[in-house]
Amino acid sequence: MAMVQPRNLKYRVWAARLFMILFICIIMFPFLMIISVSFRSGNFATGSLIPDNPSLEHWAMAFGIPWENADGSITQPTFPVLIWLWNSIKISVLTSGFILLLSTTGAYAFARLKFRFKQSMLTSMMILQMFPAVLALVAFHTIFDKLGNFIPWLGLNTHGALIVAYLGGVTMNIWLIKGYFESIDNALEESAAIDGATPWQAFRHILLPLSVPILAVVFILAFIGVIGEYPVASVLLQDMDKLTLAVGSKQFLNPQNYLWGDFAAAAVLTGLPITLIFLLAQRYLVSGLTSGGVKG
Amino acid sequence: MAEVKLVNLDKSYDGGKSYVLRNINLDINDGEFVAFVGPSGCGKSTLLRMICGLEDITSGDLSIEQERVNDMPPNERRVGMVFQSYALYPHMTVRENMAFGLKLSKIDKKVINERVEEAARTLQLEPLLDRKPKAMSGGQRQRVAIGRSIVQEPRVFLFDEPLSNLDVSLRVQMRQELARLHSRLKTTAIYVTHDQVEAMTLADKIVVLSPLAEGSESNLEQVGAPLELFHHPKNLFVAGFIGSPKMNFFRGEIVATGSETTQVKLETGEMIQTYNDTSYAAIGDKVTLGIRPQDVLTNAEENNVTGTINALERLGTETFVYLNHPAIVEAFTVRIEDHRRREEGESFKVGLPAESCHLFGANGQAFQRTRAPQFD
Repeated sequence: MAMVQPRNLKYRVWAARLFMILFICIIMFPFLMIISVSFRSGNFATGSLIPDNPSLEHWAMAFGIPWENADGSITQPTFPVLIWLWNSIKISVLTSGFILLLSTTGAYAFARLKFRFKQSMLTSMMILQMFPAVLALVAFHTIFDKLGNFIPWLGLNTHGALIVAYLGGVTMNIWLIKGYFESIDNALEESAAIDGATPWQAFRHILLPLSVPILAVVFILAFIGVIGEYPVASVLLQDMDKLTLAVGSKQFLNPQNYLWGDFAAAAVLTGLPITLIFLLAQRYLVSGLTSGGVKG
Repeated sequence: MAEVKLVNLDKSYDGGKSYVLRNINLDINDGEFVAFVGPSGCGKSTLLRMICGLEDITSGDLSIEQERVNDMPPNERRVGMVFQSYALYPHMTVRENMAFGLKLSKIDKKVINERVEEAARTLQLEPLLDRKPKAMSGGQRQRVAIGRSIVQEPRVFLFDEPLSNLDVSLRVQMRQELARLHSRLKTTAIYVTHDQVEAMTLADKIVVLSPLAEGSESNLEQVGAPLELFHHPKNLFVAGFIGSPKMNFFRGEIVATGSETTQVKLETGEMIQTYNDTSYAAIGDKVTLGIRPQDVLTNAEENNVTGTINALERLGTETFVYLNHPAIVEAFTVRIEDHRRREEGESFKVGLPAESCHLFGANGQAFQRTRAPQFD
């Protein structure tokens, strides 16, 4: 659009760019520092951003490869970092999947069906969500301790217990998806019903395909939330080979000996699955899916 | 075949405290094109949604093909519906939109293809089959919506103000296409509209609904052929609703009754003779006299009323004169064919031809006209 612009606009654009570049630098700095630490030989948190004598020793530890030091001695990897990574990915994918399943169906009920106490249920969900899960740590511990006596895969120190505990976080997502469902004209499902679709078929073939963008957002948010979660996982998981990467990384930080380098390598590793999921989900984050369906 | 029968149908949203629709009785024959008309808020769309199952029926019976369908969900009623907003599935192409229902009912792929192709041919949608709704114009989308219900071969077509989102010229064109389509398919059709031109041109039978008044028995005002409603409105509501511009109404009282002619004295003392059967009325009864704007004459010697000109609209083919008159109920509009300039405030004498007058009693019911024009 050829709108007339004031003459000093050019300088303002440059000022805005400069501000944004500075802002990005501030955000990126800690991240770059962690990468730098992971490539620095020895376990030092401070130093120049570009390592003086770069080394892959911490990454070797992270991938479980014995590292030959400069003096010829061999350092064996102390922790099963790759198993932790696998645990994290497994738990995050399963949890996010279940959250998606529960919150879409729940949101459908709240957006489309009429039932008693609907509004009060929605409000109470919102209020419950305001208490962080940390407050229930003791309860989680006791519940799963007892539950494990009857259902072994839901006991303490199992991934099943952790996933079930995380599923409590669906309420925010129900609100998110409900809002999106309500923006889709009900006439589409009504017309599907007249075309012979059962309510389930209308949900499956009309509403869900149109809601893909919000489903992608919810999946990503749930995934990020779970893979970085520490308090609940640290209480429910104990065995070294059951830990998630977030909990496991803490093992590098002994009170007497902070293994900053190994910690940094593990931390960067946590970011990889998130990046991957984001890249995969990005193509579903499109707008305008519903345009053209109804004339409003 | 697919006749639709409504018996004492009621609709209430608050469990019987107040009603939207009351005592609707209607027989729709197979192959008939029926239009529901009425001002907004009269429940005509609600009635349509009750027929297709999107609204539940509070009481009464609804049957399609002699089968009671009150408790049948919409997907089992085998009716087709075209929504005002089109309601196309935005993530599907035209072909997929039309095939959606057939795929759900697991019909053979070849049959689906044939039916979609045929519907597309009928509606001139063939070049658009692989487009998505957002890449189409309003008229094209509306045709897809119609095509989507045609391929299902429904027992009854339901149209919910299908043309009201289109511009005027397209509306005329689509109206004719709908008429052609109906004469070809001969499927029972129910058409909701607030546009009486659509109703008059398309329908075999018009159903006039009114907003339910307090204490009223029913809001079904009259059912009949378009011209019957035009020439023989049963009551004041139908008389005022059918016809554009609106019928003029004068307040007056009967001074001479008769089975053939009636003398009415307007509030202003002007005497009007009408052809209405008032044999069962009494002298002195309050009545409302109705006359359509185009029936008023400017060169009559008797049956005259005199008003003062309020405004003049000269449109070329016709001239509308808006008059003030002490006995008029709302507005006095006259349509004439001479294009002389007339001044505001000028007095204007017009004649009300006796055979064109309608007469309504104090309860709003019409006295039978004895010399109405013939129609078939």
